[in-house]
Amino acid sequence: MTVLILTCEEDVTADMVVVHLNATGVPVVRLDPADLTDGVALSGEYVHGSFRGHLSAGGRLVGISGLRSIWVRRPGTPAARAAAPSEWLTEESAQALYGMLRGSDARWMNHPDAARRARHKPWQLRLAQRCGLPVPATIVTTFPQAAREFAERYPDLVVKPVSGAHPQDPPRAVPTSRVAPDADFSAVAFGPTLLQRRVAKRADIRLTVVGETLLAARKPTGADDEVDVRFAPPTSSWRPTDVPPRVAAAVRDYLRAAELAYGAFDFAEDGDGTWWFLECNQSGQFGFVEVETGQPIARSIAEWLARPGQDPRSRANGANTTVS
Amino acid sequence: MQPFALNYARPAATLEATTPYVYDSGLQLNVLMDGRVAARDHALMRELGTTTSTAGSKTHFDD
Repeated sequence: MTVLILTCEEDVTADMVVVHLNATGVPVVRLDPADLTDGVALSGEYVHGSFRGHLSAGGRLVGISGLRSIWVRRPGTPAARAAAPSEWLTEESAQALYGMLRGSDARWMNHPDAARRARHKPWQLRLAQRCGLPVPATIVTTFPQAAREFAERYPDLVVKPVSGAHPQDPPRAVPTSRVAPDADFSAVAFGPTLLQRRVAKRADIRLTVVGETLLAARKPTGADDEVDVRFAPPTSSWRPTDVPPRVAAAVRDYLRAAELAYGAFDFAEDGDGTWWFLECNQSGQFGFVEVETGQPIARSIAEWLARPGQDPRSRANGANTTVS
Repeated sequence: MQPFALNYARPAATLEATTPYVYDSGLQLNVLMDGRVAARDHALMRELGTTTSTAGSKTHFDD
């Protein structure tokens, strides 16, 4: 049984997992959907009440029924590198590839439906609340007056993109940033704006969850005024830390409800030691944590992917992501 | 007419150096010029920053 990895060639973080799979002799087929139909090929037959499908990439051929797991890491846009790319070809290729894979009995990390839903930050905040995780007071609004009133209640605010995306025309980064108390909120009317009470943090927490395995890392906050750890100068290093039992239970509830097999949680640790939920990235990077802490994240992912495929009878309503 | 959040935008960082490894489709891994597997060189990975949480933000918004 083979592990299928959907990612781009330059994804060296995926390499960290492939190395572990190779070491244990687990067959791997790695492909980038962007290489359909030049370098990656597919075929599937629905005949006499059964399905037979195959994928080919880099000289390797694998039957879809022979997949034990599918890791959706950093796949490119289907057929983006085809000889004559087009939106139509991309949609055709996406439907063919993911449509066939959705019909397999393989376990997903993460299932595309669960992944798409899990990217919505407002949904994340609500799920975190329901799971009992502390969530900083937050507003998402296009009403300038609502933003002003929120700022009166919570004068120390940060702003961050609702989607987490960065604008590309021209390329810019939009880090989580502090908002001055006297900010002019009139521009809130021009786009949904996410404002959140700033947590006076003493550390950032990255909690990587692989199935039931929890690996937390802690990075003390620097003296500078940078709110977003991704953009802060590297004044300290990530170090392994223990997960408070209540957080561990809540995080497991979160992933179970979200139908995710993998999640990278970001928390802000305040002066009392409380972990405030910021977000859960369903495909969050982990390499930077592993190289600093030595935590076996890649190995944990490899072990999850290498487990035998599940009994198809255990699936219900297509929700075939197993987190245990 | 600019959305409020874009008041806090800054120019995107650009990678100053090309990565010193290439993809080997036979191995399904990126390898260094001397043939070693790039992912085994954690010091290099840290130096290049290719595994950090902002590395893939151009195309993947859930880093």
